[in-house]
Amino acid sequence: MKIATKTLLALTIGAFCCFAPFSFAQTPPATPAAAPKPITDADVAGAPVPSADTRAKGDPDGALTGTAGDIAVTDTKKGTTIGDLVNQVGQNKIAINFVWTLVTGFLVMFMQAGFAIVETGLCRAKNANHTMMMNFMVYGVGMLAYWLIGFAIQMGGVGAVANLGGTPPLSAEHVITVFGKPFGIFGQNGLFLVHRGTYDVAVMVLFLFQMVFMDTALTIVTGAAAERWKYAAFVISSFLMGAITYPLFANWAWGGGWLSSLGTNFNLGKGYSDFAGSGVVHAVGGVTALALAMMIGPRIGKYERSGKSNAILAHDIVIVLTGCFILAFGWFGFNPGSTLGASSNGGLRIGSIAVNTMLAGMAGSFGAMLYMWLRYNKPDASMTGNGLLAGLVAITAPSGFVNPVGSVIIGLIAGVLVCISVEFVDRVMHVDDPVGAISVHGTNGLWGVLSVGLFADGKSNYGGSWNGVNGAVTGLFYGDNGGQLVAQLIGIVTLVGFVFTLSFVFNLLIDWAVGQRVAAKSELEGLDLPEMGALGYPEFELKAEI
Amino acid sequence: MMILVGILITLSGFVISVLSLALNSNGARLAVVVLGLAVSLFGIIGVLNRAYLKNAIWKKG
Repeated sequence: MKIATKTLLALTIGAFCCFAPFSFAQTPPATPAAAPKPITDADVAGAPVPSADTRAKGDPDGALTGTAGDIAVTDTKKGTTIGDLVNQVGQNKIAINFVWTLVTGFLVMFMQAGFAIVETGLCRAKNANHTMMMNFMVYGVGMLAYWLIGFAIQMGGVGAVANLGGTPPLSAEHVITVFGKPFGIFGQNGLFLVHRGTYDVAVMVLFLFQMVFMDTALTIVTGAAAERWKYAAFVISSFLMGAITYPLFANWAWGGGWLSSLGTNFNLGKGYSDFAGSGVVHAVGGVTALALAMMIGPRIGKYERSGKSNAILAHDIVIVLTGCFILAFGWFGFNPGSTLGASSNGGLRIGSIAVNTMLAGMAGSFGAMLYMWLRYNKPDASMTGNGLLAGLVAITAPSGFVNPVGSVIIGLIAGVLVCISVEFVDRVMHVDDPVGAISVHGTNGLWGVLSVGLFADGKSNYGGSWNGVNGAVTGLFYGDNGGQLVAQLIGIVTLVGFVFTLSFVFNLLIDWAVGQRVAAKSELEGLDLPEMGALGYPEFELKAEI
Repeated sequence: MMILVGILITLSGFVISVLSLALNSNGARLAVVVLGLAVSLFGIIGVLNRAYLKNAIWKKG
């Protein structure tokens, strides 16, 4: 039996060796390909469509649903034409981008819940209602301001957003001339979302996505001023930020303004590049938080007369870390959603942007945990949570321009940086920031902006250009001549020098008009009853501090 | 008064960085922008914050 098997095997191999070359040699030469036959309307109209009887039996495996019969036909007498087919392809592309942008916008909206419980958990139980209400109503107050005027200032002159099918009504940017170059200052179309033709499907998608970003910036401030901010002052301050401060800088960076034109006008790389908003969203929120926290002063009991800082403990670390997870989840909307489409030039980078986001968050939490562990002998939970957020904040600007290794380095540095910054703000500046918002969003927002100028690897391609300059965003470590770094630094100084000042002046006016800080008695009792009229936890026995 | 001075110094850092755009070399622009950043940070940390700390409630306690 064994001999028979071996013989058969030998014969088979022998036959293959003998005949195979012969067979190959006999392969006829390839004939030239026939000229492609143009598709006609008749071919399209004749595409098979399941009959009504067939469809009436149901479609359990999905093979009969979504066929030529579902293509919108402009002229029923002609039937489906090539024009109909091509229009359907275009509409499908834009529909994919609409759905992508809306769903990621919904994820960003849910981040409000994360911010709310992170901030409330980090504050004391006696201020729970007040802190939650600020985080809850910043959504409504900010949205109202943004709908009235903010969106028009930010995006009223952005021009065509190709991924959303073009947004032609957003075409009026107010421009001044500086050093002989056009400087876009603010947009002019889009008041109330009906002004000058802005009642438009693509404009609506853009509004929703940009609105939730703006609200993220606003909610950063409530954390730094928590436990002593007068509720009326909070409402006015948030309204002004949503109406003017945020939209102005966002216009300069994203709405066709002068920062985005630094490349075309002054040959500075691709101009100020902030993919998803380390600067536009987080640093704007962070520097405003710093302005307010300085002005409003520390909580009673935070510092002793000697200047020694006392820790005021979080009341619920469980909801703090749960909130951090909700924020990390929402960040998958923040960064990948900023492509404004999945079916576009570079749209498929959504995968690498999402991975960069999660890697930087991980690295940030590791950096903070190790720093605290080595310095204080315990892996502090709240700072580890802040490390995660710091990594996410820092990767927001570079997420679309860097590779995974760059993301981990950026996140790791952010995790350590947030700890050092919290210590500096608390112990050197003596500025009381109950949740670490200035360090998480301000310091690391600026670090994220800077990191674009260092780590952008030049591999991203979003249609062959960025901010109107050919090529991909490239940082110093990948061969840029330093122009991109200078553009990023100008963005940073604009945040620190201009946005801070504007926020400071607005809040100074509010301080003079209605006062920013609650009375000491209210602060000692807790703000829930004096400011909100109801306790957050009525069954707790809360005691006023002495 | 110190608050007004602090506001002006902070804003002047921004103005300095914008003025860097009048230069042609990236190295020179970098130096001027960093100078602008330093001026703005001085305005915030060295002037404005110090003005508020002078009357901080915890110093009175």
